[in-house]
Amino acid sequence: MTLPAPNSSDPLLDVARCTMRFGGLTAVSDLNLQVGANDLIGLIGPNGAGKTTVFNIITGVYQPTEGAISFGHQSIIGLRPNIIATKGIARTFQNIRLFPSMTVYDNVRAAFHLHVASGLSHALWRGRSFHAEEKSVEEQVMEMLDLFNLGRFRNAMAKSLPYGSQRRLEIVRALATRPKLLLLDEPAAGMNPTEKVELMKLIQFIKDKYRISVLLVEHDMQVVMGICERITVLDYGIKIAEGTPEQVRSDRKVIEAYLGEDHREAKPSAKQ
Amino acid sequence: MTEFLQQLINGLSLGAIYALIALGYTMVYGVLRFINFAHSDVFMVGAFVGYYSGPKVLQMFPNWPIVAGLCVLALAMAVCAALGIIIERLAYRPLRDRSKLTVLITAIGVSLFLEYAGQRLFGADPKSFKLLPSQNIPLFGGLVFSSNQLIVFVLTVVLLIGLRFIVFNTKIGTAMRAVSFNHHAAALMGINIDVVISFTFGLGSALAAAGGILYAQNYPSIDPLMGVLPGLKAFVAAVLGGIGNIPGAALGGLTIGIIETFVSGTRWSTYRDAIAFAILILILLFKPSGLLGTSQTEKV
Amino acid sequence: MKERWNFWTSRALLILAVAGLLTGCNKPQSPDPSAGGAGGAGVATDNVIKVGEYASLTGTEATFGQSSHNGTALAIDEINAAGGVLGKQIKLLYEDNQSKAGESAAIVLKLISRDKVAAVLGEVASGRSLEAAPICQQNKVPMISPSSTNPEVTKRGEYIFRICFLDSFQGAVLARFAKETLKATRVAILTDVRQPYSVGLAEFFRQRFVQDGGAVVAEQKYSGGDKDFNAVLTATKAADPQAIFVPGYYTEAGLIARQARQLGINVPLFGGDGWESPKLIEIGGAAVEGTYYSTHYSPEDQSPVVQNFVKKYQERYKETPDAMAALGYDSAMVLADAIKRAGSTEGPKIRDALAATKDFHGVTGRTMIDAERNASKPAVMVTIKDGKFKYVETLSL
Repeated sequence: MTLPAPNSSDPLLDVARCTMRFGGLTAVSDLNLQVGANDLIGLIGPNGAGKTTVFNIITGVYQPTEGAISFGHQSIIGLRPNIIATKGIARTFQNIRLFPSMTVYDNVRAAFHLHVASGLSHALWRGRSFHAEEKSVEEQVMEMLDLFNLGRFRNAMAKSLPYGSQRRLEIVRALATRPKLLLLDEPAAGMNPTEKVELMKLIQFIKDKYRISVLLVEHDMQVVMGICERITVLDYGIKIAEGTPEQVRSDRKVIEAYLGEDHREAKPSAKQ
Repeated sequence: MTEFLQQLINGLSLGAIYALIALGYTMVYGVLRFINFAHSDVFMVGAFVGYYSGPKVLQMFPNWPIVAGLCVLALAMAVCAALGIIIERLAYRPLRDRSKLTVLITAIGVSLFLEYAGQRLFGADPKSFKLLPSQNIPLFGGLVFSSNQLIVFVLTVVLLIGLRFIVFNTKIGTAMRAVSFNHHAAALMGINIDVVISFTFGLGSALAAAGGILYAQNYPSIDPLMGVLPGLKAFVAAVLGGIGNIPGAALGGLTIGIIETFVSGTRWSTYRDAIAFAILILILLFKPSGLLGTSQTEKV
Repeated sequence: MKERWNFWTSRALLILAVAGLLTGCNKPQSPDPSAGGAGGAGVATDNVIKVGEYASLTGTEATFGQSSHNGTALAIDEINAAGGVLGKQIKLLYEDNQSKAGESAAIVLKLISRDKVAAVLGEVASGRSLEAAPICQQNKVPMISPSSTNPEVTKRGEYIFRICFLDSFQGAVLARFAKETLKATRVAILTDVRQPYSVGLAEFFRQRFVQDGGAVVAEQKYSGGDKDFNAVLTATKAADPQAIFVPGYYTEAGLIARQARQLGINVPLFGGDGWESPKLIEIGGAAVEGTYYSTHYSPEDQSPVVQNFVKKYQERYKETPDAMAALGYDSAMVLADAIKRAGSTEGPKIRDALAATKDFHGVTGRTMIDAERNASKPAVMVTIKDGKFKYVETLSL
């Protein structure tokens, strides 16, 4: 498939007027969102603003109630998650969802699934091409693990890794599906300031090295403002602002939403 | 001492067959979190495939009984793999998003369907299964090892190694493990859940068929209800080993087989199932997740 | 086995069709005031005498039920061909209990209350005869068990008869056989605890064998339907018996023989009439060579009544009749004889005539019904040689 040359006016991902309702609750309302090739877009908003729901709509976990989504000029509405993954969208999870009792290597290997031709019969006969392929897969997996400083954990169970490394492993696993678009769901959650700085470098590095687009949902303003080229702000499922970090930072609605959120959050924390 | 060793051999060969059946229960539980009660009837179908194809295959290889035996085994495994996949496709997949109870009751329904269809198709009276002749292999001190028991050991070990290879060294095996940990995450990694589940059913059913052939070779009277009791014991073995855990199922099968055999050899022989189940309850009281199981809280 | 099944179904359909034709043809002849009036209890409206039969036509003891039923059906057709009884044709209504516990009582109740049968024939297995007996007793419908050998069966009431020998007799004969023919003094017993027949026979054998100076060195138990006997046999082997008595049914006996030989147990195995089935050889294969069992008759008996029966049975079913077939045949013949002597199809009258049966010469020997409604007759010992049943000797006490 030959894609037209990357062009910001010709988006890779185009979410058009999407609405998601769960019974009477509208989680996302009339959302428009575009991600161009090699873009790094932030999606922010207070708790419960519908950010993760947007991710679930894009990856096919939920079917939007209304609206259209296209990826590389093809509609992906109605496709199942694994098909959407093969089209080139990968994601990480807010609460880490690694395969806990599989090794670090196998976690990444599982995601390499998509690009390996040999099926079971192939594997059982263990032909030459199988060996060659296994070898190349192993090399590629190790290359990625090394690149993200996980090589030494190769045979460790994913669940035994330190928290920060688990986050990184989840990103590597997502990258192993060779996506064109990577969705990161609060990658900075639970990280200390040093780790956050490293994460920002990592995201930038991934974007440049693999020439992919990144859509980042993040709570942490420092991270988002630090690396995103454009930012979309959601509140109660509605897009309230969009623009460069500077534009968003000074937007009155955004300040209100976050101040309001401060109020909302202040109460429970005061109780504790 | 001889008696003890002989009972150990008896118990291991019986347990090996339970282990083969238990693997199917545990694998399906691993990916789908439900007990496929029709599994024990797939085991029965495996034995009947051997019963009907055996004589014809033996004619094709009159001088190579072992080759004929392996052909029959392969055929039974293939037929049952297909049967398992069809059962999943027709009975369970449409209910994938329903409550577990619905699927469980459907599984019981499928089980009864296979049993009664078997009675209609094969007849309810027991058939005598003939595949390979049996020979004794005398060991030291009056200890006897029959060729049937040897076949059970060798095949079970080969199949377990094969299974281990598939699960740990192939992409479909990796995908199976991924799905068993998290459907969602696996799907988002591009793994086709349906293919993985079909494959799991096929693999488990093929192992059940192998168990069926081995069981019939050892106890050559087969009937459409022959799967019920071994199936129940294998299910117990799977729970005992830690349901969802593959080495656990193998270990559980051997444990149940050995316990059953040792109790049978005493004057409490008629209580052997009661005693085997009592031991199960005791083990589960102290180790609720089974021998090798890890307690896992399921998050959705 | 497929052939057997098809053969069987087609045969059953044929019998039904023939029975239907016969009753149809006989309709015009029905004005027979004496017979019609005497019918009294329930069968008054028809010019046929309905006889019920419950049998294990499928399931684990299917060959017993099928043989027995074949014998019964053959007898009834012969009786009808010879003009029937009391000027009426006998109509056999039969049902399958699938060799399952808990089916027979319901079947017999249905035969009695809905079909109004004059008498009931069945069953082979003592356990199932015991289920049906109380129903027959309550309804005052005579029941003849062709081959249940457990003593309890006829103790259920004065309407319950049998035409085979008792397990007390069979157990004693087997004890004598073990001691005199097998020259064994140390015997192990493997009992099927689910079958009253097996438990009873084991006990009668043990009593007599010990009384005669023998020793029972091991008593192991199993449950009917078990497949794995390696454990009980290993324990039995450790007791070093000179012979092993297996008073169970043929499926388990075949499996036990096979596994015993695999474990290197080479002493003779022997059992009772529960072994009588071609399935014993099919399942046991070479392992049952040289084993023995006691039974009710042998087709090798040269007496004309036996040879006539064997010939007719072979013509019709293309196989040699076994003891169950012979007893099934005799049960119908004894019943017809009693109805003839009673001159009535009323339950109490048939019962009295049955109780008065003396010197009835059937294919299973001279049959006399005693005060306990049991029959006493000699037993036949059979062995398996070259994959075939061979007559050994006739034994009585």
